[in-house]
Amino acid sequence: MRLIVNGVEREDLRSAPMTPLLDVLREELGIMSPKPGCRAGGCGACTVLVNGEPRRSCLLPLAATDGAQITTAEGLGTPGDLAPIQRAFLDGYASQCGYCTSGMMLAAQALIARRGPGVTRDEIAESLSGHICRCTGYVNILAAVAAAAAETSSSNEPAAEATG
Amino acid sequence: MARHRGTGLAAIEYPTGMNQAGDPSQVWIKLKPDGHVDVFTGTCDLGQGSRTVHAQIAADTIGVPYDWVTLDNSNTDSSPLCTGTFASRGIFVGGNAIRRAAVKAREALLDVAGEMMEVDPADLTGEEGFVWPLGVPAKKMSVSEVALAATWTYGRMITGQAAYMKPFSAPDPDTGECEPHYALSYGVCVADVEVCDETGDVQVRKLVQVYDVGRAINPSLVAGQIHGGAMMGLGLALLEESYPDYPGVEHRGGEFGSYVVPSPLELPAMEDRVLENPSADGPFGAKAIGEMASNAQPPAIVNAIHDAVGVWITELPAKPERVLRALRERAEPVRRGKRVVFDEALSVRATSSLDGAGWLLIDD
Amino acid sequence: MKAVGASTPRYDGISAVTGRSMFVDDVRPVGLLHVKVLRSAQHSARIARLDTAAAAAMPGVRGVITAADVPRLVVGALEAQGIPGDEPLLALDEVRYLGQPIVAVAAETEAAARAAVAAIDIELQPREPFLDIRLALDPDQPRITPEGNRFHYEKHVERRVRRGDVERAFEQADVIVQGVYRPAAIEHAPVETQAAVAIPEPDGRITIHSTTQALYYSMSIVAEHLKVPLGRLKFVGGQVGGGFGGKVDTPCESVAALLALRTGRPVKYAFTREEEMLCSSVRAAWHIEIADAVTSDGWILGRRTLTLHDAGAYSRLSPYGTNKHTFHMGGAYTIPNVAFNSYVVWTNRVPSSSMRGFGVTSASFAIETHMERIASVLGMDSWELRLRNATRTGDISPTGVRLPDPSAVATLRGAADAAGVRLEGAYGAMTDARGPGEHIPEHLLPAIARLQVGA
Repeated sequence: MRLIVNGVEREDLRSAPMTPLLDVLREELGIMSPKPGCRAGGCGACTVLVNGEPRRSCLLPLAATDGAQITTAEGLGTPGDLAPIQRAFLDGYASQCGYCTSGMMLAAQALIARRGPGVTRDEIAESLSGHICRCTGYVNILAAVAAAAAETSSSNEPAAEATG
Repeated sequence: MARHRGTGLAAIEYPTGMNQAGDPSQVWIKLKPDGHVDVFTGTCDLGQGSRTVHAQIAADTIGVPYDWVTLDNSNTDSSPLCTGTFASRGIFVGGNAIRRAAVKAREALLDVAGEMMEVDPADLTGEEGFVWPLGVPAKKMSVSEVALAATWTYGRMITGQAAYMKPFSAPDPDTGECEPHYALSYGVCVADVEVCDETGDVQVRKLVQVYDVGRAINPSLVAGQIHGGAMMGLGLALLEESYPDYPGVEHRGGEFGSYVVPSPLELPAMEDRVLENPSADGPFGAKAIGEMASNAQPPAIVNAIHDAVGVWITELPAKPERVLRALRERAEPVRRGKRVVFDEALSVRATSSLDGAGWLLIDD
Repeated sequence: MKAVGASTPRYDGISAVTGRSMFVDDVRPVGLLHVKVLRSAQHSARIARLDTAAAAAMPGVRGVITAADVPRLVVGALEAQGIPGDEPLLALDEVRYLGQPIVAVAAETEAAARAAVAAIDIELQPREPFLDIRLALDPDQPRITPEGNRFHYEKHVERRVRRGDVERAFEQADVIVQGVYRPAAIEHAPVETQAAVAIPEPDGRITIHSTTQALYYSMSIVAEHLKVPLGRLKFVGGQVGGGFGGKVDTPCESVAALLALRTGRPVKYAFTREEEMLCSSVRAAWHIEIADAVTSDGWILGRRTLTLHDAGAYSRLSPYGTNKHTFHMGGAYTIPNVAFNSYVVWTNRVPSSSMRGFGVTSASFAIETHMERIASVLGMDSWELRLRNATRTGDISPTGVRLPDPSAVATLRGAADAAGVRLEGAYGAMTDARGPGEHIPEHLLPAIARLQVGA
C-alpha cells in the first residue's frame, strides 16, 4: 500500500489494509493533525483531503485510498508560509481549543476550490454542517471561510457577506 | 400550519471566581538576559485563550512588547499551582496572580535600571521594551540592556512571583450568609424565534446579547466566548438532553447524531455589545465572561416561545414534541385566592407519596 | 499600554492552524499500553462475583486492576472543603450507575484489552434503581445509601439562604406566582474526549499527560488514590480540546497511573466517544420551584424556592454547585425577603458534575422564565418589571454582600437599545444607582444602600 501524503511519497506502508486512514496517518506516519473525535464519522475532526475531496479518515480504510494524494493541515502551509485558509482562521480567531480546526480548514479548502469567491454564507454553513465545534459557535469559522474564499479571486471582489 | 414569531428577554448575573473563593492561583516570572519574559502559570487553556490574556497582562505590566513574552502552563514541575480553569476565574484570579508577579518583576527591573542610570527607581517609567526617567524619554534604555547588565554585571535575577486568592467564605448554615464571589458580571439576551405550530419546531432567528465584562482585555477572545456560549445556550434550550424520557434512565446514545449538538445550520444572526463596568479588584478591571455567556439564552428563548405561541416550556429542551404537547394542552395556571400556580402536577408536593413531607416546600 | 484592550493574536494560534497543537492523544511514548475498562451493565446492582483470572491470562494483557489494587479507594472531590468522598475509583461491592468502572485492563493493543474485558467473569445482582429525585423520601423507593437518597449539609439537610421576613412578604403580596422549572441533564460533548497517558520514569516518578482543566487538582486526586506525595507525580497538559467543566473529575489519571506502576510501561486510558457520552459526568438535571410574592404594580416583595439537584450516583462537586445555585436564586434583582432551600439528591445514573455556569445556569433559567410569567400575570411589560426590581449599587444580596458595581440596569438598557425597544418614561432614564429623588418603597429599605441625608 502507498500514499502520497502532503506531497511526500510513502511506500510500503505496514498498516493492515482495513486500518482506518486516521490511524495510518497518526500511528504509522506520525501525522497528528487529524483527530479522533468520535471514530464514527459524526464530528469531522478526522477530515483529510483524499485527491482533493474531504473524507472522514476514521471511516476510510487504507485499502480504499491506495495511491491517493492525501492532504492534512500540515500540508496546507507552514508557519512562515500560511495558506489563505490558515491565515483567515488565524487572523479571524476561528480556532479556540484547536481540536476541530484541522478538519474544518480542509473541508473549507475543498469547498473554496470547488466554488471559488462566489460561495455564499449559506453554502459554507451547509458544507460545514457535519463538522462540530463546541467552542467557537461557528461565527468566526464561517467568516474566516468567506474571507479565504474572497481572497481566491484575482480581482478585488468584495468578500462574501458573512453576518454574525 | 403557521409559523409564529416571538421575542423574549432574560437578564442574568454571574459570579467571578470559585464559589466561596479559597482558590489560589500562583505565578512566577523571569527575564532572560536579553529582556524577553518567561511566565510560568498553572492555568490550563481550554481554548478560551487564557494563555493569550495572561501574556497580555504580563507584557503591559512589565512594560515589554506582547511578543517578548513566552508563557508556559505545560506542567507541574515548572509551573506553580492554579486551582483550575473553571468558575470563570482564569482572568480575574489567574490574571491577578500574573499581574502581581509582573509588578514584582517590573520592580526588580527598575531597581537595576535605576542603578545603571543613577536614578531612583521610583522616578523611572517606560513601556514597550524601554525604560526612561520620568519626563526625560531621550535618556531611554532598552529593557534588553538592563537585563544583560543584571545578568553579567550585577549578578542578579530579574524575577517576580505572586499568589492571588480571596479567603474561603464558609456560609452560615442557617442563613447562607457568606461572600460567594470576587465580582459579579451581568448580561442580557433578547431572542427572536419562529415557532411552527404544526411541527413544534423552534428556530432562533436572532440573538441580541449585552454583557458587562468589567474590562475586555482581548476583545476578540471575549467575542469568541460570547459566540460559543450562545450556541451552547441554544443547545441547552432546544436540542440537547442526555435522558429524553427523564426521569427515565434511557440515554440519548453514545454518538454525535444520537446526541444532538448545535451545528452551523442553527447559527442565528447575532448582535453583541460589551460593556466595561470595571471591577474594583480584577486585573485592569476585568470580571469574567466564560460561563455567563451560555446562561441567558435558554430563558430568553423560552420566553420568546411564549410570546410567539402562548405556551410556557419549563422543562428543557424545548424540543418539538414538548412544544406540540404544550400547544395541545394549553395549560392554564391554577388560581387559589391570590395564588397563581403553574405546573402544579410537576411539583414535589404533587408527585411525592407523602404530600411533600420532609421537604421545605414553597407553599407550606 | 499596548496589549491590554487589544485583540492581540492568539498565543497558540499558529500551532492550531498548522495542525501542530499537541493534545494528550497525540503523545506516543515507546511501548505504550492501552486501557479498556469493564463497566457496569446495570443501573444499580450488588457485585456477587468478580474473577479476573481469565482476563489476566489473555494474550497481550500486561496488567489488570480492581478496587483491591487501589491504595486509597475513595477520594472525595471536595475533601479540601471538609466533605468526605463517597465514590470508589473502581467499584468494590456494588455499582450505582450504568457505566460505572469496575475493572481496568492494560494490554498491548486496544483489541487485546477489549477482548480481556469481555473475558472477565462477573455476576451482578440487579436492584431496582432510584431515578426520580422528587420521590427521594418516599418509603417505597430504593435507597442509594443506608442513610437515604439525600446529601446532608453541615447542619441541615438542605442548603439554606434566609434574609428578611418572607412570611410577612407573602402576607403583604397582592399576588403570589408559583412555577416549576426542570432544565435537563446534558453532555459537555467536547470534541476531544478525556484521556490520560501515564509514563513511569526511571527515578520512580510518574509523568501523567492529562486533558484535565486543573493540573494541580487532578494531581492531588491521583496522589491521594496512590498514597504518594505530590513530588512523585508530574502532570503535563494545559492544552485542552474543550472542557466546559467536564474535564475536572479526573476519571482516567489514577487508573492509568496505577497500571503504569504495575506494568512498568507507559499506559494510555482515553475515553471513546461512547464513554464520553454515556459514562462521563453530565450537567445535572434540576427541579426548581419558585414562589414570588409580588405587588400588583410589579414589586417582588419576597421569594421562596425549593431546589432539588440530581447528583447522579455520587456527590462529586454537587454540594458545591448546589451552594452556588442557592446563593444566586435572587438573580439580577434586589429581593429583600427570601427563603431558598436546596437539596442534593442521589439517583442511579451517571454522576453529574460541573458544567459551564454550574448551578447558576439552572437558577437563571428558572428565575428569568418565572419573571416572564409574573409579567404575564400582572399584565406588565417584561422590561419594566425587570428594571423596577433590578439590583442597584450598594444593594444587599441574599447572602448579605453589599454589591458595589452591579450593571443590571446598564445591561438591560443596552439590550433594549440594541433590540430597538423604547423604554418609556422613568424606565428610560434609570441607572445602576438609585437616584436621589427616587421613591423607595418601604419593603426595599432593609436591602438597599444607605440614602444620602438631604440628597
